[in-house]
Amino acid sequence: MSKEQSSQEPSDHEVKVGRRHFLKGAASSAAALAVAPTAKAQNPSAFAASYTAPTYQQLQRDTGALTPPAIERTVVRPGSDLMVQVLKDMGIEFVAANNGSSFEGLQESIINYGSPPNKMPEYITALHEESSVDMANGYGKAEGKPMAVMLHGTIGIQHAAMAIYQAYYSGTPMILIVGRDDGFIQAHTANDMAAMCRSFTKWDALPKTLPECLEALQEAYRQAVTPPTGPTVVVVDMELQKEEARELQVPPFRPAVIEGIDVATARDIAQKLLAANNPRIATGSFRTPEGCAAAVELAELVGASASTTAHQGPMGFPQRHPLCGPGADINYDYVLGLEANSPHLSLQRPTVATLTAVRDTMGIGFGGLRDNPPATGRGAPRPQEGTVLTIDAQASIPLIIAEVSRLMTPEQRRRIEERRAAHAKANHEARMAALLEAIEQKKKGWDLSPISTARIYAELWPLIADEDWCLASPSSFSSSHHMQLWDHNKPYSYLGGQGAGGMGYGLGACTGAALAARERGRIVINIQTDGDFNYAPGSIWTAVHHELPMLTVMHNNRAWHQEFMFIQYMAGVRGRGTDRGHIGTTLRDPFIDYAKLAQGYGMKAEGPIDDPTQLAAALRRGLDVVKNGEPYLIDVLTQPR
Amino acid sequence: MKHITYPIGALLAMSLAPTLYAQNGDAKAGAQVYYDYGCYGCHGYGGYGRKDLNDTGSAILVNEEVFRAFLRGRADVAPLLPVTDMPNYPANSLSDEQVRDLYAYIRSMPPNLPETGGVETFRQILEIAEQPYRND
Repeated sequence: MSKEQSSQEPSDHEVKVGRRHFLKGAASSAAALAVAPTAKAQNPSAFAASYTAPTYQQLQRDTGALTPPAIERTVVRPGSDLMVQVLKDMGIEFVAANNGSSFEGLQESIINYGSPPNKMPEYITALHEESSVDMANGYGKAEGKPMAVMLHGTIGIQHAAMAIYQAYYSGTPMILIVGRDDGFIQAHTANDMAAMCRSFTKWDALPKTLPECLEALQEAYRQAVTPPTGPTVVVVDMELQKEEARELQVPPFRPAVIEGIDVATARDIAQKLLAANNPRIATGSFRTPEGCAAAVELAELVGASASTTAHQGPMGFPQRHPLCGPGADINYDYVLGLEANSPHLSLQRPTVATLTAVRDTMGIGFGGLRDNPPATGRGAPRPQEGTVLTIDAQASIPLIIAEVSRLMTPEQRRRIEERRAAHAKANHEARMAALLEAIEQKKKGWDLSPISTARIYAELWPLIADEDWCLASPSSFSSSHHMQLWDHNKPYSYLGGQGAGGMGYGLGACTGAALAARERGRIVINIQTDGDFNYAPGSIWTAVHHELPMLTVMHNNRAWHQEFMFIQYMAGVRGRGTDRGHIGTTLRDPFIDYAKLAQGYGMKAEGPIDDPTQLAAALRRGLDVVKNGEPYLIDVLTQPR
Repeated sequence: MKHITYPIGALLAMSLAPTLYAQNGDAKAGAQVYYDYGCYGCHGYGGYGRKDLNDTGSAILVNEEVFRAFLRGRADVAPLLPVTDMPNYPANSLSDEQVRDLYAYIRSMPPNLPETGGVETFRQILEIAEQPYRND
């Protein structure tokens, strides 16, 4: 057969079509296809030659022309409707998934059950399971509560595995619902599906009945948000999704009960805070925004200066609060650590490292989570200075506040007011001095091309300072200039790093943060490294499809720059020159055009921009679009770091 | 090897400034060495990076001989953990002529440090910092 013949008159066996394109055509001409299931109705030249055509049976099913097999009873109240009701009751806003047949019952319920359907939760279309979980990670970090992800059997878990692993390291709560269809494709099912990720999830269940499944989903939520927080897994058999629920009622949801310190401990802390001449509150990352607000209330009540990690990660004490900073006197006579170290006493919730004995049944021994880890290397545990109570600080603060309020004398109240004013003045002065110093550093190479990463952060700040913003992308590879230049005053101002340093996280996490942002009138800033982008760029489409307010600014240094430097040093050690260090570490030949790539996914985009004088105007254009509820990408050619 | 030429124009723009130190090398050729050997990786395309080169007063850059000795005398023992320190450059990996050109190029890099008050963005950042705290 000649090529011409092949492209014009394919046989049923030879036709090669793209299935999605085929279906798009098929949807509008289903009847014709039903009687003539060949590709003759299509234009074969429009389809990639490497795809196999769907079978006649598949087409019939996908186009709705094939009547499902008759069953003895009509399912009027499928079990998956009740599962969705459970998710609604728990306030799950989104379920992200890349579709899979093992959860088709649940997916159908999400999009059709309830009034309105597909709302709380809304089905979020992801193009990769890793992206789905990264979205849940970004959302969970921003809001301090779970969203859900559906994964398709063994293959879905494996696609998602690295993202789950990072969420586990970050302690991000999320609910992973794994579809299991034991009677369908055997390679997609397993006896103990959750075992594939048990070592890096907090809790899992394989319910055998529908009532058990509903309880398991509720328990998954409670486990996810209870310290140590983290991802939880419920494997849901297809039979349970499709089962007729009859009169079964959804059990009422009982929120998690998270323990704090006892009254005696709270009283002791309150007395020490009140007795101190210069108390300080060292703060870390709280579980939820309520923790941040409670910490502020306590600091104001006792007039303590406060440290923060808000510029390093989510759920921190507001950085520009008048009490945040070194304070008027750095000789602190009592330091209370709230999720942070203290030379005196700190309250710190348990981390997932405490789960290793129970969850790491295979003895994998993940670094940073295992017993007796080496003292070197990134992520090695830091030594504790003072007394540490392993208990949730957020749950403890209200009792401390109550005790302080009860014990405080008028004289103490007067001294505290004076102290607050002194701290505010000193902290403002310290802030201005630090900012001036930072600017001296950031202006280096200000007018150079490619554009300095400092200039990206600097130009952005005046444009977003009055907005409700969230920097959701990890910033270490772009030198974290926001830490010195921006004010991180919200629990979600900066969402921190990847968790376990794995690449491919940024775009998905920003998309998840943008889901939260869309519902709350917020905007998300994504300073997107090019290396990270290319692992799973499909989230660009998700952001467009779901109309997410996300500004992506490419930090396009055309390399995996960290590795570039590592290889250079290694070549130097071996005396072989660094002129081949670009091999395998750079993205050249060809350069990637990210604006075109984004446009291909349907996103408004521009660039590449290499003239620094053009940057601010591009950022303004992008923010105008984002504030209008659409994502935007600006490709910026940058200095390496 | 195949030379990637796209950033060289930007690099050469730096080589036009007057210099304080005498150089024997060819700054234009040095710009190509700077790119081919990935010096920009740590030092930026214009001399600003993890380690700045522009007008730093570094003793290592006081003259070509000291610079060459520095390149040749770097650690040659592989550390156990990956590092991004300055690589070693023995003569068989970077010739004396290349070092000469590279030095000429580095010494030609002009400072790029605008006055803080002359940059509108910096003025705005400082104004924002002066505003009272609000967290609404």
